[in-house]
Amino acid sequence: MHDLTQEQLAQAIGVNRQTILAIEKEKYIPSLDLAFKISRYFGVNIEEVFVFDQKTPTIRDT
Amino acid sequence: MKKNTFYLIFGCIALALLFLFWYSVELHTPLLIEIAFILGIVLVYLAKRSVTDSIEDERDVKITEQATIRTMQIFWVVFCAFSIGAVMEIFRVPTFPRQPMGTRPPDILGPRMIGYIQLGLLCLMVFLYVGFRIYYAKKYGEFETDEE
Repeated sequence: MHDLTQEQLAQAIGVNRQTILAIEKEKYIPSLDLAFKISRYFGVNIEEVFVFDQKTPTIRDT
Repeated sequence: MKKNTFYLIFGCIALALLFLFWYSVELHTPLLIEIAFILGIVLVYLAKRSVTDSIEDERDVKITEQATIRTMQIFWVVFCAFSIGAVMEIFRVPTFPRQPMGTRPPDILGPRMIGYIQLGLLCLMVFLYVGFRIYYAKKYGEFETDEE
C-alpha cells in the first residue's frame, strides 16, 4: 500500500528492522511511544494501524 | 565505530585480560588483574557507546531487561544460599566460637575453596544470562525471518 520496506520504516522511526518484523509477526507489542511514531509516519490515527485486543494488540496491514 | 570493530576491540581486551591474569599469577599480585579487569570493563562500555551502525531500540532494552531480571532472580538465591552456608562453615557453626587448632575437625570447605566455588557460580551466571537472553530474544521475534 505504501511501497515501503521494513528497513526504510525502521530507519525513519529509529528502530531496528527486526523490531518492525517482530511487531508485524505479533511477537512484540510496541510501546505507546513507538505505536504513535508508526502511526504518525503513515499520517493516520493510531487505531488505524493497531487494533487493541484484550490479549495482544495487533498491527493492521498498512 | 563499526559494530565489527567493536567486536574486534572486545576480543583484544579479553585476550589482554587473559594475558594479564597469567602475568598476575606469575607475579603473585592479584591487584594487577583486579584493576585490569575493572579498566577492561570500562573500556568495553566506552567502546560500545561509540558504535554507530547499531541501534539499541526498546525491544533490545526489553530483552536485556527481562534476561537480567530472570538471571538475578535465580542467581541471588543460589549465591546467597551458598554464601550463608560458607559463612557458617567458616565460623564453624554450631561449635561457635572456633576451637583452637588441633582440637577441631578439619574444614570441609576452606576459604580458598569457597572462593573458587563463588567464582564458578559467577561464571554460571554468565551462562544463565546468555541462556535467558536467547530465550527472550526468540520470544520477542529476534530470529524471525520475513521479507516484505
